[in-house]
Amino acid sequence: MATTENMSITPEAAEAAGDFYTYVEGVGNIPRDIYKHVKSDPLGDLPRYSIHIVTQHFLTFISFLILAATGLTLHFADLWWASFAISLFGGAETGRLIHRISAIVMVAASVYHLVTIIGGTISKSMRKRFDIKRTQIPLPKDLQDIIHDFRYFIGKEPYRPKMEKFMYKQKLHYLAILWGTFVLISAGSMLLFPEKMATILPNPVFFQDLARLLHADEAVMAITVVVFWHWSNVHLVPGRFPLQWSFITGRITREHQIEEHFLEYLNNLKEIPEEREYMKKILREKGLETY
Amino acid sequence: MRELKITSVTLPTFTLVLSLLMIFLTPDVYSADIGNCLLCHKYPGLSRVDEKGKLRLLYINEDIFNNSVHAKVKCEGCHLDIQKIPHDPAKKVDCLAECHIKEPSSEQKFSHKDIEKTVAMSVHSKYDKDGKEKKFSEDLPTCKECHDEPLYRPISFFKQVRAGISELSLSRCKSCHKKEDFIYKFYNHVTSRMHRTRNPLNIAESCSRCHDDLQIIKRHNLSAKAAFSYGETFHGKAARFMDERIPDCLDCHVKKGDASHLMLSKENPESAIHEKNKGKICASIDCHPSASPKLAKYGVHSEFSLDRSPAQYYFTVFFIILTGGTLLPLMGIILLDLIRKLFPNAMIRRRK
Repeated sequence: MATTENMSITPEAAEAAGDFYTYVEGVGNIPRDIYKHVKSDPLGDLPRYSIHIVTQHFLTFISFLILAATGLTLHFADLWWASFAISLFGGAETGRLIHRISAIVMVAASVYHLVTIIGGTISKSMRKRFDIKRTQIPLPKDLQDIIHDFRYFIGKEPYRPKMEKFMYKQKLHYLAILWGTFVLISAGSMLLFPEKMATILPNPVFFQDLARLLHADEAVMAITVVVFWHWSNVHLVPGRFPLQWSFITGRITREHQIEEHFLEYLNNLKEIPEEREYMKKILREKGLETY
Repeated sequence: MRELKITSVTLPTFTLVLSLLMIFLTPDVYSADIGNCLLCHKYPGLSRVDEKGKLRLLYINEDIFNNSVHAKVKCEGCHLDIQKIPHDPAKKVDCLAECHIKEPSSEQKFSHKDIEKTVAMSVHSKYDKDGKEKKFSEDLPTCKECHDEPLYRPISFFKQVRAGISELSLSRCKSCHKKEDFIYKFYNHVTSRMHRTRNPLNIAESCSRCHDDLQIIKRHNLSAKAAFSYGETFHGKAARFMDERIPDCLDCHVKKGDASHLMLSKENPESAIHEKNKGKICASIDCHPSASPKLAKYGVHSEFSLDRSPAQYYFTVFFIILTGGTLLPLMGIILLDLIRKLFPNAMIRRRK
């Protein structure tokens, strides 16, 4: 159990030193920059995604890449590379078929995701373990985190904000995916069933043109955001390069968890006894218990 | 799946097959060069600069000509003004001339003259209903504006549908018709009439020569850049990928059963694209057979320009701003993050 000898400063003293130290019952005072001193397995040390989420991500990203490749080729049919690209897919007819099959996979993954998310929320609520802070739902704290992070970037704060399991970047991206998937699936269905839609829609000319523009424009936007924002943040920035394994292992490295998801790390300390022991050991080794 | 076979043949493959066929199957007996015109015109460099300063290539590729629809017609059959060799500068060929070939069913001398009457009834006629010459009638097409010298593009459907002549089906002809020359000629003639000589892209390009010309559009008060706006739709995109099943200009603008020479204005109630008839065209058996007439309300000529479709134009602008407006701040965050990582300990105000 908690050994007070490891903590030579009281919670009150830690409070006085600003938010640099975080007192955790039974572990000690954890300095904010401890992530620079911990050992991390690149494959991940702490649980982050369930097998369902990992599967959904796989289904989504594979179908997304295929949809993007076939879709861009069909949309930019008049560009020089398009005829080479379409022959990779076996011509326009087969390209369209591949696009539609991938779309079915993506719709299935979205439904699967909704089922797990809604089911998981209900089951957690029933066990009274639902915590809104550990979800993707945007909260006022996210705005504070953005401001804090900006202040950190321009040198007005010494450390990154202490963030939950999902930080503001991830929440933004998640919302973008919800919106994008909804738009792409609805516009895509309008294009897929032109005969049916002509009888349902009040103004077929307008809505068909709208769907055609919406589907392509939203897709181009989604592709640019995934390439320039998602891939950069997840795999390419220093500290994550060349690959973050979370999408395969469903686990996050200790270093990353403490740096960007400190509050979730505190949850990990509560929930995983081994992690508590490890943190105690590190604090002792680094001589940090003398603070 | 079987009918897919011919449509999914891409142009390069098709051209290859066609060229191989030309090399291996062309019998020399095809030549119609009785006047010995090729004595000079067989040389690839044969050319001259005409009065307008334009280089004219006078070379005739015998192999290509012999695979063309007019292979059996003598040179003098069309170039009527050439009587002696060496000849004076030749006049342009008049396709309506009586031709030196006999139409086999009537034994009459063949002519394209009848087509002129059909075109005269169509929207492309140089004269209006009252027989008066239309304004800017020089813009309106004559035969050669749309037709080039078409090559035979045979198909065989002996067991499998494929491009080119099947030796198996030829062997059936051979059992009765002994002259090989005759067999090839009629096989080519008959099969090439059973499908389009040109693919949809080719037809759209042909129409675009006038119908995408901004000056012609303005002069004749046309409603869209026809081929360009076709290219913006799924029909046009598939045509770009050499899809042969996709509707081209003629599929919608020509009434089923009529020849393409009788193309009518959309205001003409007889026209295939008249408001009342449009639905039938879309719902044709090869296209959207289950479609209601409402399908014809869709825009098949989409041009998202400010003056033609402002709603769509502003929508596109909105999306460009949205994409830029989302991406740039996000990239800004990454950039700030990267800069901060270069100077991890830099502080404006150090806190202790």
